[in-house]
Amino acid sequence: MTPTPQSTVRRPTSDLDVYSDEALLNPWPGYRELRDAGPVVFLERYGMYAATRYDAVSHVLRSPEVFPSSEGVMMNDEMNQVLRGNTLCSDGEAHSASRRVIVRPLTPKAVRLLQDDIRAQARKLVEELTGRREFDAVTDLAQYLPVTIVSNLVGLPEEGRERMLVWASEMFNCFGPPNDRTRDSFVVLGEMMEYATTQAVPGKLRPGSWAEAIHGAAARGEVPADKCPVMMIDYMGPSLDTTIFAISSAVWLFARHPDQWDLVREDPSLIPSAINEVLRMEAPIQDFSRSVAVDHEIDGVVLPAGSRVIAFYGAANRDERRYPDPDRFDVRRNPTDHLAFGAGPHTCVGMNLARLEMRALFEVLVERVTRFEIRSEQRALHNILRGFARLDVTVHV
Amino acid sequence: MPKITYRVGDETTTVDATVGSSMMHDAVRNDIGGIIAECGGNAMCATCHVYVEDGPVDSLPEVGFAEDEMLDCTAAPREQNSRLSCQIPVTDALDGLTVRVADEQA
Ligand code: HEM
Repeated sequence: MTPTPQSTVRRPTSDLDVYSDEALLNPWPGYRELRDAGPVVFLERYGMYAATRYDAVSHVLRSPEVFPSSEGVMMNDEMNQVLRGNTLCSDGEAHSASRRVIVRPLTPKAVRLLQDDIRAQARKLVEELTGRREFDAVTDLAQYLPVTIVSNLVGLPEEGRERMLVWASEMFNCFGPPNDRTRDSFVVLGEMMEYATTQAVPGKLRPGSWAEAIHGAAARGEVPADKCPVMMIDYMGPSLDTTIFAISSAVWLFARHPDQWDLVREDPSLIPSAINEVLRMEAPIQDFSRSVAVDHEIDGVVLPAGSRVIAFYGAANRDERRYPDPDRFDVRRNPTDHLAFGAGPHTCVGMNLARLEMRALFEVLVERVTRFEIRSEQRALHNILRGFARLDVTVHV
Repeated sequence: MPKITYRVGDETTTVDATVGSSMMHDAVRNDIGGIIAECGGNAMCATCHVYVEDGPVDSLPEVGFAEDEMLDCTAAPREQNSRLSCQIPVTDALDGLTVRVADEQA
């Protein structure tokens, strides 16, 4: 390869620490700085590139030949070894084969079968909580459907079900760059992987569950049997926390924008649009990464082969080049093109279920609640996930 | 620019399609009704279902695995000529294509 003369190469750099406590709690000013600095910007502190503009993030996610997932989608080498070969961290035929198995219980058709049960449970829960007036929107509201319904569908034995929330959160911390948060979480990750290997096995899993179906697929030769433990992580990781954070962020946004809540109350057909807008504003997963397989130029900046680029879904969703007035919460915007569920071949397989859970709750909340009032809030301080650890609210009915 | 015709209910609209876009995006941009496209064009929601009726049907790309899976989930019945419009990139070869948007999407 002929070296390009230095003068024609643009390589925007930044010394911003995107994983500092401050940036994680309020990432938006940093994201804006990075978007303005270039389509992709080299993060000096981490030795990785950051894609923050909508077009750049979308391009990275939709170009798997250049930006593969099989060398991992995390921001540290150790973790990129751990999950090798699951659906999230694979490409091409191997990815299609395991995705085909993982998506089976999550297609629109499969999820339609869950609709009545989820709606009924959502109604019962919301009626109870609105009767109480004061509750924690995280533990009392947001966790309920994922923990009671989804964890049961996944089908781990009792102990595993109870640990799933902790495991998932710690696992996602391990997606971060080598920092204290990442290191501290590796202990729990070990426990989770051990469980996925020794306990999430036929005979121990709930018959008819999603986890059992992975083993069934392996027995039929649809996926290699040795991939079962890492494929368990496809369900154990993202099925609960993401949705929980999305629900708590929705309550938080509606509490702070009562005019927008009124719009949805007056016209509940806006609920799907409002949910997309919540996900755009507060992407529950802020960023994953991709390796760079070949030298590749994005809008005049060259990403060298062998480097890694972080795709900031959360930053793309606030790109003023894509969304006018991006920091404004507008329930009528209906941004179906937001990137909170990713895009391209690895687009979230759980989105139909996540949407159903959110819709079911807000369909009842709009009937009952005139105002959410926040009594106290505590954000989760997390490398990757964005949402609340606690959100104490009073509801006016 | 290739011309693509969409039929929605009793209405027929022909648009100058944009090469490089998907049929779904192009239809939405041109205010063709009846397409929801909840998942933003990622073959996950089956709400941009169309029936290919006429024109250069042989120029359409094959149905991929993700699309095939989703076509089993459409609200209106899947037919031989069912496609998800988000999985069809607009190319010059599609000039003269006519599709009917499925009545029911969700
Ligand atoms: C609001 C809730 C959710 C959000 C925001 C979310 C977000 C995401 C994102 C951003 C990706 C793309 C990863 C990439 O680009 O590499 C993804 C993939 C994935 N999600 Fe979700 N997710 C949610 C709910 C769920 C649920 C409920 C499940 C399972 C029941 C799930 C299972 C998966 C799986 C298995 C993948 C990997 C797909 C692949 O690599 O082909 N997600 N999710």
